Amino acid sequence: MHTPLRIDPSKALGDIATFQRKLAAGMGHLRSMREPEYANTPRELVYSEDKLQVWHFKGTGRPTSKTPLLIVYALVNTVWMTDLQADRSMVRNLLEQGEDVYLIDWGYPDGADRWLTLDDYINGYLDRCVDVVRKRHGLDAINLLGICQGGAFSLCYTALHADKVKNLITMVTPVDFHTPDNMLSHWCRNMDVDLFVDTMGNIPAGLMNYVYLTLKPVRLNQQKYIGMVDILDNPAELENFLRMERWIFDSPDQAGEAFRQFIKDFYQGNKLVKGTLEIGGKPVDLGLVTHPVLNIFAEQDHLVPPDASRAMGRHVGTTDYTQLAFKGGHIGIYVSGRAQREVPPAIHQWLRARD
Amino acid sequence: MPGLVRFEGDDFVQQAFARMQGTLYEDAPMADPANDFIRDYQTLAQQSWDAWTRQLQQQQAQPVANPFFTPPAAPASGNDTLERTLAGLKGYFDWMQGAAAGGAAAPPADWRQQVQQLFGGASQPFAQAFSGIDSAGAEGFARQWQSWWQAAQHGGFGDLPGTHGPAPAFGLNREQQMQQQAMSAAVLASLQASARYQALIQRANTQGMERLQGKLAQHAEPGRQIDSLKALYDLWVDSAEEAYAEIALSDEFREAYGEMVNTQMHVRQLQQQQTEQMCQQLGVPTRSEVSSLGERLQALRREFRASQTSAPEDHADEIMALRRELAALKRQLASAPVVAASTAKPAAAAKKTHASAAGKIVSKSPAAAPRKSAAASKSRNSSSKRK
Repeated sequence: MHTPLRIDPSKALGDIATFQRKLAAGMGHLRSMREPEYANTPRELVYSEDKLQVWHFKGTGRPTSKTPLLIVYALVNTVWMTDLQADRSMVRNLLEQGEDVYLIDWGYPDGADRWLTLDDYINGYLDRCVDVVRKRHGLDAINLLGICQGGAFSLCYTALHADKVKNLITMVTPVDFHTPDNMLSHWCRNMDVDLFVDTMGNIPAGLMNYVYLTLKPVRLNQQKYIGMVDILDNPAELENFLRMERWIFDSPDQAGEAFRQFIKDFYQGNKLVKGTLEIGGKPVDLGLVTHPVLNIFAEQDHLVPPDASRAMGRHVGTTDYTQLAFKGGHIGIYVSGRAQREVPPAIHQWLRARD
Repeated sequence: MPGLVRFEGDDFVQQAFARMQGTLYEDAPMADPANDFIRDYQTLAQQSWDAWTRQLQQQQAQPVANPFFTPPAAPASGNDTLERTLAGLKGYFDWMQGAAAGGAAAPPADWRQQVQQLFGGASQPFAQAFSGIDSAGAEGFARQWQSWWQAAQHGGFGDLPGTHGPAPAFGLNREQQMQQQAMSAAVLASLQASARYQALIQRANTQGMERLQGKLAQHAEPGRQIDSLKALYDLWVDSAEEAYAEIALSDEFREAYGEMVNTQMHVRQLQQQQTEQMCQQLGVPTRSEVSSLGERLQALRREFRASQTSAPEDHADEIMALRRELAALKRQLASAPVVAASTAKPAAAAKKTHASAAGKIVSKSPAAAPRKSAAASKSRNSSSKRK
């Protein structure tokens, strides 16, 4: 009878010695590494309010598109995933395609922002940002690109302010929060969110990150770093790794009231697809989203399961709905090599046909 | 110093290999060279690790942020990364050492038992991987309520009321006694909920091991065998994550998770209430008061914004109602002729679908996919890949 383990003793010891040697050698690199910078594509501040900032990106050439594109990111994590590093920047890639790109940076909420609601974010901040871009270009409507939670915001916004949106693009956006594989939704279903927010106030970023790590505890908290040992002697790869670490853990807190409403209405109540959602006392009817919609999701997304995004097609009122399945994960859809080649060109082509 | 770690390790490894080879291949009649080797190796490896760890820790002074009870740290720095890195690597390093010392490389009489030993011991990597993130929260929570407990005892409460169940309270300190009872009960409930959660984590570990044995059984044939510690570890990670995901998506886990969060929040809420009472007595503004001011201020800002808008609210509602009606009419118009069309030409929808190298693209057009029509829904779901 054979055994499945055939590990040569000298090889095992050699592996351990190699592991230690790489760690020791990598120390020099780690100690000499500075905080990695993001891509920092040239940009101009065109609007700010409280902690929010709207940036207008500058490409090397003039935009060829007639309608500007406003990127609406999630409140969790920072917007710089879209402009992570020079050769992995969705923003830069969109500029090169000819898009005119704006981006909302929500900033880092503190105690003063504790009472911001979804109404404040969607009908307040987001609406005013859209107005700023519309006014700059003298247009009635602009293109929106919503990412993750920002996609859900953009969807709600389009339903509530239909005449200000020309085309809607959503990326890794949850719509049906009750698909059976949605672990985050599953975990928060029995949470007393009122008690949680009343007690915590704003939700600390560290707590959010803790929850994300526990979605895949061994992979994200151990295996990933074991893999890092193999690149300790490669400064370029190590810098990329640390840049991603910076982005993952450099996260803003969540404004308490907005968090409360998002968990109760979206995660627990699944009101977006049930048609019972209200923002600021106004019903959000996805049937009113009659605009062209491009819905992009990641097939290996462990945060927003593909089915949670696919559901959009069944609920929006548009007859011009396009769905793009990307072979990758929730983050890879912005920063992987494949993403650079495929996603921005697909967005541009789709927009160009509707410009 | 890196040099110290590297050179000592290198010298040692050379010596170790020499001795190991003597043991394995020369069959030298020594006292117990294999055991000596393992013992020496573990000692030196631990020293190396400790030295390496100290160097990394020189760069960071802050412990991992306690997710539930410590205010969030400043935007993350490299130090935070190093802390997490250390926690993860330490678990792996310990496991490799244990695996080598435990005879992962020796031909086992019963490989299933061997696997149990490799992943079930004190250095089993699942517990370490999980504790790297989880213990921070648990520790912080325990530390906080223990501090409160000690403070209460120093304050003259002695054995805290409520520790042994609810008891009647009376007299001048009645309210405080009731509060302490409530706190004791809340802490107890929280600890019980955490224990229930931890039991599920442990179950995931056990089931992960069973999965690993199942996966290994498929590698028994020559040519498919696992030939390195790293390959064995990676297979175990797959197994552990699969088992964890299954449990994490169970109803039992959902209830345990909710209960853990809710009971911890209840303890924290009671702590805050006691703190606020103390602050009020000392004339210190409280979080509740600041929060109330913030709520009122935000309400005023909203009112001010609303008063600045030009369109009266009733007009906006009317426009919204008309828009809804228009959308419904459009859908109605779009759906009527298409049912017949899609029945007559079922291939029409397929023409609208395509896929690219980027992945599948599925489109619906006014003609192919009217909303809320069974026939249309069917055609919308049909797709083919674009070459």
